Amino acid sequence: MSGGGRSRRATARDYNVVVLGSGGVGKSCLTAQFVQNVWIESYDPTIEDSYRKHIRINNRHAVLEILDTAGTDQFTAFRELYIRQGHGFLLVFSITSMSSLRELYDIYEEIITQKRDNRFPMVLVGNKADLEDDRVVDKSIGFRLSREWGIPYYETSARRRTNVHEVFAEVTARMMDRDRPVVRETRPRPKCVIL
Amino acid sequence: MIAAVRYFLQCTRCLNRDAGVVQGHVGIRRLRKGLLSDLSSFVKSTKRLQEIVETQPSTEELQNQLDELVLKAFKVVTRAVRFLDVWLQDVAAQDVGAAAAGEQGRARPLQPPTESAVEENANHEAAQSRPQEIDFAAGQNSSILLPERAHSVSSGGTGVAQSAPNPHPAHELGQATVQDPSQPSDAVPAIQLVPPRSASVSHRLSYSMRSGIPAQKNSLASEKLSAAQDAFLGYIGSFIGLHLQSRSSSELLVITQQSVAACRQLLVVVDEVWERDARRSETLEQARNNMQDRLGDLVQATQDLFTPSEAEGSDHVLMPDQGKHLVAAATSCVRSAGDCVGKTRQVIEKIGDFEFEAVGLGLSESIFNRLPSLAASYYTEQPNTQTNTEDTASEISQSSSSRPAPPPLYQSVSKPLPKTPLASPPIEKSLPPITQTTASVPDSLENGPPLRPPLTIDPPTYSSDTRSQSPESATKPVFDKEGRAESIGVSVSSSSNDTDPYSYRDSETSGLSTISTRATTPDQSPSSHKDSEKQLLSSFGSLSDIQSSILEEPYDAESQVLEKTYAHELIYNKEGQVAGGSLPALIEKLTTHDSTPDAMFVTTFYLTFRLFTTPVEFSQLLINRFEYVSESRHMARPVQLRVYNVFKGWLESHWQGDTDSEALPMILPFATGRLRAALPAAGRRLAELTAKVSEVHAGALVPRLISSVGKTNTSIGLYTDKDTQLPNPIITKSQLNALRNAKNGGNPCSILDFDPLELARQFTIIESRIFCAIQSEELLGLEWTNKNHSKAVNVRAMSKLSTDLANLVADTILSVDDAKKRAIVIKQWVKIGMKCLELNNYDSLMAIICSLNSSMVLRLKRTWELVSVKTRNRLEELRAVVDCSKNYAVLRQRLENEIAPCLPFVGIYLTDLTFVDVGNQTTRQLPGSRNGEGAAVINFDKHMKTAKIIGQLQRFQIPYKLVAVPEMQDWMESQIRRVRSSEETNVQQFYRRSLYLEPRETRPASKPSPSEHNEGTFPDNGRSNSKDHGREKFDFSRAFTFSSSQKEKLAS
Repeated sequence: MSGGGRSRRATARDYNVVVLGSGGVGKSCLTAQFVQNVWIESYDPTIEDSYRKHIRINNRHAVLEILDTAGTDQFTAFRELYIRQGHGFLLVFSITSMSSLRELYDIYEEIITQKRDNRFPMVLVGNKADLEDDRVVDKSIGFRLSREWGIPYYETSARRRTNVHEVFAEVTARMMDRDRPVVRETRPRPKCVIL
Repeated sequence: MIAAVRYFLQCTRCLNRDAGVVQGHVGIRRLRKGLLSDLSSFVKSTKRLQEIVETQPSTEELQNQLDELVLKAFKVVTRAVRFLDVWLQDVAAQDVGAAAAGEQGRARPLQPPTESAVEENANHEAAQSRPQEIDFAAGQNSSILLPERAHSVSSGGTGVAQSAPNPHPAHELGQATVQDPSQPSDAVPAIQLVPPRSASVSHRLSYSMRSGIPAQKNSLASEKLSAAQDAFLGYIGSFIGLHLQSRSSSELLVITQQSVAACRQLLVVVDEVWERDARRSETLEQARNNMQDRLGDLVQATQDLFTPSEAEGSDHVLMPDQGKHLVAAATSCVRSAGDCVGKTRQVIEKIGDFEFEAVGLGLSESIFNRLPSLAASYYTEQPNTQTNTEDTASEISQSSSSRPAPPPLYQSVSKPLPKTPLASPPIEKSLPPITQTTASVPDSLENGPPLRPPLTIDPPTYSSDTRSQSPESATKPVFDKEGRAESIGVSVSSSSNDTDPYSYRDSETSGLSTISTRATTPDQSPSSHKDSEKQLLSSFGSLSDIQSSILEEPYDAESQVLEKTYAHELIYNKEGQVAGGSLPALIEKLTTHDSTPDAMFVTTFYLTFRLFTTPVEFSQLLINRFEYVSESRHMARPVQLRVYNVFKGWLESHWQGDTDSEALPMILPFATGRLRAALPAAGRRLAELTAKVSEVHAGALVPRLISSVGKTNTSIGLYTDKDTQLPNPIITKSQLNALRNAKNGGNPCSILDFDPLELARQFTIIESRIFCAIQSEELLGLEWTNKNHSKAVNVRAMSKLSTDLANLVADTILSVDDAKKRAIVIKQWVKIGMKCLELNNYDSLMAIICSLNSSMVLRLKRTWELVSVKTRNRLEELRAVVDCSKNYAVLRQRLENEIAPCLPFVGIYLTDLTFVDVGNQTTRQLPGSRNGEGAAVINFDKHMKTAKIIGQLQRFQIPYKLVAVPEMQDWMESQIRRVRSSEETNVQQFYRRSLYLEPRETRPASKPSPSEHNEGTFPDNGRSNSKDHGREKFDFSRAFTFSSSQKEKLAS
């Protein structure tokens, strides 16, 4: 992404971002759009860094590993595993489907229960914003829910690449903020970070 | 490549020999011939490369061949560029006028069908030489691009000058050679395009070329110009190339002289044109003078470099960095030459082309006076210098001696010579040693045949199918799905005698004989199958007949180019696979006349065609292909046969009644009509097949049964000899009795009552049954994600079973009130997980790990304290296998090397398929089309990826050789049913149960510390050292390393 990031990339923190949402909300599209380089003509999801992406926010560097349960939505136990690995979450629904929003309640509960923290880095994402004509979830509903959960709300269009990078940047910033005290705490023991 | 040339000619309206343009313009006629001759030379060279590859040559030999190939590709491109130049001048200027630019634009895509790195290279050069056209069309903008071009020419030029491997390949050339090692495989697809008959090409073409010679006398200025420029670029290219490889000074000197000579020739031509121009174009004069100055610079630069080495009197090896300004000089020389030539062309265009008289050689001689006199001696010593200067040189000599018959190779190099009456003696002498064969070229033109390379004519590919009937090839399992078409063809043809290489799965492949017998000839016993095949074959002429008839037909580059083709609508990727194409082009690829179609391509096509076309359209285009190929003399029959085979393969083993039957009304008339007329037996057979298929359609599931029969046969065939002994179930009579009792309402059994291995086996059998039933169509187009009416019943059943197993694990642990006992249950599940891993059952393993690793189980710290360290370590090992980090790097690696039977974690494929689908466009643009708006064609690459993933899954669809214990399976299924129907399947319910068993400990602080990401999963006071490392690890590992001291700390 950034030219100068290379040297600092070694110290860049790895974060797992889990993209969650029911099937058909276009969450895999969101992931694919974010991870994929625009110039890549052919996307191969089977290689090691298919879901890795370097990101820089306010001069802080991070490497995101996107965990996406796409295609395995029926294997619900699997979702748990991903939630456990997650450092941040995108809760994705489709603005064209009310049920997709409702399904997020369960997922949100699951995260809160697992992480035992209702301030865990999360972003509420209303995808398919390009299909304004088919909208059934009003923006106000999204915002109300985001206030209730205390997390930011974005509307995206994975198809038109709008706000895709922004939602990942937002959740990364939140993960970093949450991390900062940790960094301070661990400073007395720098270990091999510098090496 | 052939297609590219064809398309190129088509765009310039010169495809047919008797086209008006060709008739009317001598230059075009000759260049067209030359182009075709270059092409055939290239084709031959590819053939030879193929032969050499087959005989497993030394790398050196291979290198030589590859270099030749690159050289020839380069020649073809150069020739095409020259052709375009002449064409534009003679034709476009005259009668197309403004349309010229458009035509030119259209002519550009002549390169798209990149076949291999070789052509890519050629492509590259062609692309680089475009500025030349722009230059002369627009008269500007070229200066930026030209340096690049000079570079590219340098690689080609070096090839021309040396055509031998370079030990120190530098820069551009280095790239070309770096690609080369990978080429044996890369080049194969290219070769497959190439017809295997090239017997009399050189003869024919050279003959016809000779007939063109009389016309040469009126050599036109424009041609002169092109020839001179080509020669110049060739030399200057080799000059730069040489420099980059730090060659000896003597060689460099020679090349410099050659470059200068060539440049002088160019200047002569330019001068002549300038003289002719009544208006004495000023710009041209400027350009000319500029060029001359640059040339002077170049000579000066060379001289400067050599003065010291001369003084030393020894051969001085040039270091690459030493002559940077030399390259700069050469580059600017090339640039100014390009400019000059462009301007000259403009002038010629204005004043009209004229005949060129022999011009005095004074000029070209005078240049040598500017070089040290020592240069002259190098002329004679030149061959020696090359052999003894460096190891490179010795390799050159080696290669030239080891090469069987170089002359035809240089045929085209020499071609410009006859038409250059002013080719002065010095220039001829100054040709590099290898082109010394020039001398013999006039001979070779006349006595083409004797000088032809010893080309053993490859039998047409059909024979490769027939000759492969050896029984061992039939029994040999073909696991490698991406294996070469040939090996696949081998195993297939062993079962069905005619050419049906359209299957790649080992199971399907060997099952095919059963399939074809069953589906098509149920009235015949399998033993008579062969006979019927023979009959079939003899009725449309035995294969050898076809073969010989093909051989009799002389190879004819011209007729080949004339054939209708859509090959220019194909896009290839770097690996030489088809990455995209229009539907007709893909179908053409499916029915190539000259090679066994790539197995992966064919499989992909059958598997995915319903995603980008309809069965009706597919049939229609196949029939179209059948028809338009019939115009072709030499390939009609093989292609028609292939069309039939595609139909046959489709109906026999890839038919999907519910969608495909709509194509039957189209296939049947074709079978009984045109196909029967051309190939009577094939027509009958296809008609029979359509009948069978429609019967099957009525019975719906029959094709599936057949394919699973095939699978079973294969697996038995594969594994009986390895371990005939089925393992005895580890179960006692009392255990069986207990199971029966439990079924009849007696005491319930526990998971602890049985041997973990047997539990793992029985669950594996249950799961494998579903897994093996998964059909490819369930995995296409995200079918399994359809919530309603999904056809992907088995995929969904798999997911459900995994979820059930995970829930069962959680249930068995959480339903026990005693922590000690819970620990034992956990231990039992870890053991079962270990056994699953031993059985290659990754799907169940994943489910068990998911559950053991879930928060509701993991948070039971009292329980985990009672789990032994050994068990924890084992669990850690298992967890590492299915670890999702780095996109399941560990699991993917294991699966890659796994041999069936195996139950892979299906979720990994489902995710891959999802991302291939959403991450790749459905179409891609043909490159190089006008205004950047290339026609959108099918993104076949996407379908190839899909097919590859499905292939990976199918590779494992082989049942386990295990003995079922129905009692145990019944019990397991009843347990699953119980868990499924109970309230507790809900994660929240489980969690509540978990909280009930081991209530949450009170927290010291109300506000959660931000550091405790993993808090909910395990009470943790934040051991800071683990935070620096992968966070995904520490949740789990810490759960096991949790010490009592920490617990105390937490409690306080």
